Amino acid sequence: MGRQVCCISAGFSEHASKRSDVSMPELVNEAIQDCLKKVPSVSLDDIDAFANGNMPAFEGSNIPELWMTDWLGARNKPLMRITTGGTTGGSVAIGGYYNVAAGIPGIDTVLAIAFEQQSQGDTATGLASVALGEISILNNLGISYQQISRLLSAGAAIGVAAYQATTYMSKTGITEEDLARVVVQNRRNAAKTWWAHLKMPDLTIADVLDTPYVQYPLRYGMVCPASDGVCAMLFTTEEKAKDWADIPVYVNGVASVANETAVLGYNGSGSAQLDPSVQLGAMRSAQLAYSQAGISLPRKEIDYAEVYSPFPNQELMWVEKLGLFEEATAPQMYENGITALNGELPVNCSGGVNSTNAIGASAMERPAVAALQIMGKASNQVPKTVHTSIGSGWGGSLNLITLMAMSDEPKRKWR
Amino acid sequence: MSEKKMQRTERKTLAYIKKDYVKTRTMPASWYLSSYKFKFNITHMQPFLKKLKEKKLVANRCSGCNRIFYPPRFVCGACLLKPDRWVDIRQTANVSTYAIAFIKNPDTGETEEKPMVLLQHDGADTCFIAELNPNIETKGTYINMPIKAHWREERTGGLMDIEYYDKIEDDAEDID
Repeated sequence: MGRQVCCISAGFSEHASKRSDVSMPELVNEAIQDCLKKVPSVSLDDIDAFANGNMPAFEGSNIPELWMTDWLGARNKPLMRITTGGTTGGSVAIGGYYNVAAGIPGIDTVLAIAFEQQSQGDTATGLASVALGEISILNNLGISYQQISRLLSAGAAIGVAAYQATTYMSKTGITEEDLARVVVQNRRNAAKTWWAHLKMPDLTIADVLDTPYVQYPLRYGMVCPASDGVCAMLFTTEEKAKDWADIPVYVNGVASVANETAVLGYNGSGSAQLDPSVQLGAMRSAQLAYSQAGISLPRKEIDYAEVYSPFPNQELMWVEKLGLFEEATAPQMYENGITALNGELPVNCSGGVNSTNAIGASAMERPAVAALQIMGKASNQVPKTVHTSIGSGWGGSLNLITLMAMSDEPKRKWR
Repeated sequence: MSEKKMQRTERKTLAYIKKDYVKTRTMPASWYLSSYKFKFNITHMQPFLKKLKEKKLVANRCSGCNRIFYPPRFVCGACLLKPDRWVDIRQTANVSTYAIAFIKNPDTGETEEKPMVLLQHDGADTCFIAELNPNIETKGTYINMPIKAHWREERTGGLMDIEYYDKIEDDAEDID
């Protein structure tokens, strides 16, 4: 039996393509300050343990928490690092959750921090070092490096997303206009969020369709930016949360599901995922988290969703796979304004990953915004009362999915 | 107690430092990838690579789940068994999914459209990256398009012995 765990606060640093005014520890400290500002009765002394993580290799400086301890406020306290690629943030949040849920004596309050300062390093090199094992195998099998790099220009994150997009588009019969509509909604929402990166209040569908292709069917205007930014979440026990916060947000379900690697596969031996838009991992994670949280009808019970969507087609895919809409109906929902700020089921009102993508932090920003929406403290607050919300993550070696379901009532079922 | 806490929190803010230091300094650095060593097993690939020289395609099959892996796999991820049966598969394939890449040609400086496909060979259960015949129209690529392997004249026993994949109009004729 674990304990009920609450999220009582979440903080962000300002996101931009180049935060050249701060170093990495200073950037991390910004988010922690913002997180603690929202709960004035909590100070750094009250925090018992820390979980942190970022995407290694993207910045060129590995194990940054070693020289960041004081900036985190973690001196003489337990500190653990979790890193799972694109879902690092989601995994760090889940790590922070389990630290509290485990009921270890003396560890009641845990601060989870996910960060990324991408302007320090070269993302392409970082990705190459992730895939180098597979590339060297293919090299050995007779494909020249030049050829691989050409084939793999469709094989990095955007390549996988482009494959997903073509399959999804052919299955549902949607056009690029439907993809652009998702982008417009996200970027306009981002304009109302103080920490977001790409703020475009006047963006139109025509503007998005006017940009050149990066990779068919995704255009330059549709893809996520590379940001510098940090997100922090504060988890604590039910008893302490009631003292410290006005509306404690109960974390009722967490799931992290791994799936088979896409495109290249294990040892460069191909992938058994013939249809990249099926995403069994997302369905499984939804099943796990909802069963823990006692959500039997996600379509009716969930009031707000933050999904991890660097590319617009993924947003359409995830809302279907996470059970929020019927298969192949998501594009219509976006067209009819169901997912808008004042709609029935608002999605990504912070602008989503599509507008702000600090890779290590992105997957934590999703549950963080979902929690703030329940507290009523989000930057772009939805007008209706939010009782239940979810925040998802996607990444790893393009195959890991995290999900966190939260509510204003304790519903976690321990079996 | 609460005052003391507030003081502590205040002391940690960076505002007073930031007045003096508004910009960071950048130091460029680079790492060499060549000093890393990756170890992997290629023994299970040898029969496959030998057959490529003879214009034949083979794949291995897991006896646990009966899935057929092309290219061959060292271990079946679902059953954790070593796939040990070799089966012949056809030269024809289907486009499982595709994307169109826009790549700048370093010689001419022009942007070329190139369809990147994941293909599933007829008889195999996995898909793999491949190149299409450059003469195939980019816009003519579609999901489930039937294609066939085009072999190089001089084969060395590598995956690149298949130069590219040709489009076939009627797959009923090509399958013998």
